[in-house]
Amino acid sequence: MTTTTPTTAGAVPVGAGLSMFDPVFIGIDEFGQPVYLDVVYHNLLAAGEPGGGKSGLVNNICGHGVLCDNTRLVLFDAKLVELGPWRDLADAFIGPDIDHGIDILRRLLVVATNRYTWLLANRRRKLAEGDGMSVILTVIDELAMYSTVLGTKAQQEEFSTLLRGLVSLGRACGMPVVAATQRPSWDIIPASLRDLFGYRAAFRCTSLNSSNIILGQGWAEQGYTASDIAPTNQGAAYLLAEGGVPRRIKAAYLTDTDIYNIADYAAWTRRPTGTPAPAVDPTEWEMAA
Amino acid sequence: MSKSSPRRFGGKSTATVTVIEAKVHRSSARNAKMAFILTAVIVGLLSAVVAASYWHPIVALFVGALIGVPTGAVVWLLVRVWPVIRLLWWWSLEVFLAVVLLTCWVQLANHTPTVVTLLVVALVVGVPAAIPTVRRQVIAWTWCLIVRHRLRVCFAQFIIANQSGSLPLILWARPTPVGERVWVYLRPGLSAKDLESRLDKIAVTCHASTVLIERASESNAAYLRFDIKRREVLNARVGSPLVDVIDPTAPVSASPLTVPTALDLPDVDAPTITLPAQGKPAGKKPATTANGSKPAASSASDDTDDVSDWI
Repeated sequence: MTTTTPTTAGAVPVGAGLSMFDPVFIGIDEFGQPVYLDVVYHNLLAAGEPGGGKSGLVNNICGHGVLCDNTRLVLFDAKLVELGPWRDLADAFIGPDIDHGIDILRRLLVVATNRYTWLLANRRRKLAEGDGMSVILTVIDELAMYSTVLGTKAQQEEFSTLLRGLVSLGRACGMPVVAATQRPSWDIIPASLRDLFGYRAAFRCTSLNSSNIILGQGWAEQGYTASDIAPTNQGAAYLLAEGGVPRRIKAAYLTDTDIYNIADYAAWTRRPTGTPAPAVDPTEWEMAA
Repeated sequence: MSKSSPRRFGGKSTATVTVIEAKVHRSSARNAKMAFILTAVIVGLLSAVVAASYWHPIVALFVGALIGVPTGAVVWLLVRVWPVIRLLWWWSLEVFLAVVLLTCWVQLANHTPTVVTLLVVALVVGVPAAIPTVRRQVIAWTWCLIVRHRLRVCFAQFIIANQSGSLPLILWARPTPVGERVWVYLRPGLSAKDLESRLDKIAVTCHASTVLIERASESNAAYLRFDIKRREVLNARVGSPLVDVIDPTAPVSASPLTVPTALDLPDVDAPTITLPAQGKPAGKKPATTANGSKPAASSASDDTDDVSDWI
């Protein structure tokens, strides 16, 4: 799945030099202030009705991820087109193929376990920026497709279980998960999986109940309900992150042209192996594979 | 003032009393009487004790009464007119602004010819009105003045408060891009939870769209922040800074895709549909809509995309 750098260019420019440990810009709040998320140590669940702007948010994070040094992407998109532009930059791109998805999740879990062993051996509890290990960003668009539609019942359950493992394990070892779905109720995504996501973004919903499912019980009664977002206002959402209180944000929007421009540029500046291999990298990825 | 009233109100009402200004007004007479007696007795006795060290105790008692009764009368007067003082305090800024403006107008009219007066007024009013930034600032701060009064109306008219009818302290307000933010210090008898069940009514009273209440202090539950929202500001498209860090002339580097040719329903044979029988939404809601918007997708994903609309 790795891309080959075009040979037409005589020289390749130095990349943007971002890092996944940098705060990721996702939009602005009602005060006009930029909103940043610390994605690397948190899992993000974005939900809301179709056309609400979930993909815009997810693409912002992907766009940041591909321009980052030492970052690998694992993309799940049963709809293909939402995360498709980044497919050549990702270490794995899973379309409507749940078997492939389960394989990848198993590999990711092995990597996570190995990393924790490494951390234990180094008397640490959390991966830090200077460790030389890559950040493996897992992005799932339309999570419900994998947990309810594709594959057999057993496969769907296995997928959910493995993902629950990754979401609970990945946070401290540089393997964050960003998932988007339409309505994360218990019949679509197990509540035990949903509750593991620390950051929540509620895009427009049709009811108070739906909003409560995304943000957590009780917020709608306090006035924080995504059902008051106008249907025409795409990208507006309630974000529950730092601060403990949901705040209204507007996710930045990348046009298709922007997305493909960023993808082309990232492919141009990235090394053929996806990310540079640091000398101290204990090569878990290859071990896991 | 609040000390004396529970003995009367406690008997005839339930645990909560809807605060009405008239009731407050009636109780102020009783409060004033109590304040007069308490102040007169305490001040009189203290004065008598002090005077006793200079004069004969009986003379000292008379001196005490002479000091205590006028002090009590002053306190009685203060408590009696307290509702009026409170009202003046609430409207002090408006009163001050009105006095300043009227004085300015009168002085201007007395000292300049009519044409100049009108010209100055036209400039003073017209320039801020013509410059959008200034105009918006003026309007925003005016709303801050209005909204503090409206919030007090909320508390006085329909929010259950304590038996003595004391209203929360409405502190300062300042404009935000979406409306106003007002800090409020609750008096005993109210909590943030009580207010949260009345958010819609507060919004109506404040002529606003929505109202949110947050605690303004980690350590004090009485100190709240009201976020009053009367306009939506997140309408415009927000750009991403990522676009600025890239070179848009980068060579195209997409890997070739095998594009399926079966892009319409008749092109796909029935057995090739690979949707699972177990998927509940798929079983209930068959993919009926025609969808040709995804030429790059395989035939299977065409169907799954339709199903996802029903989740």
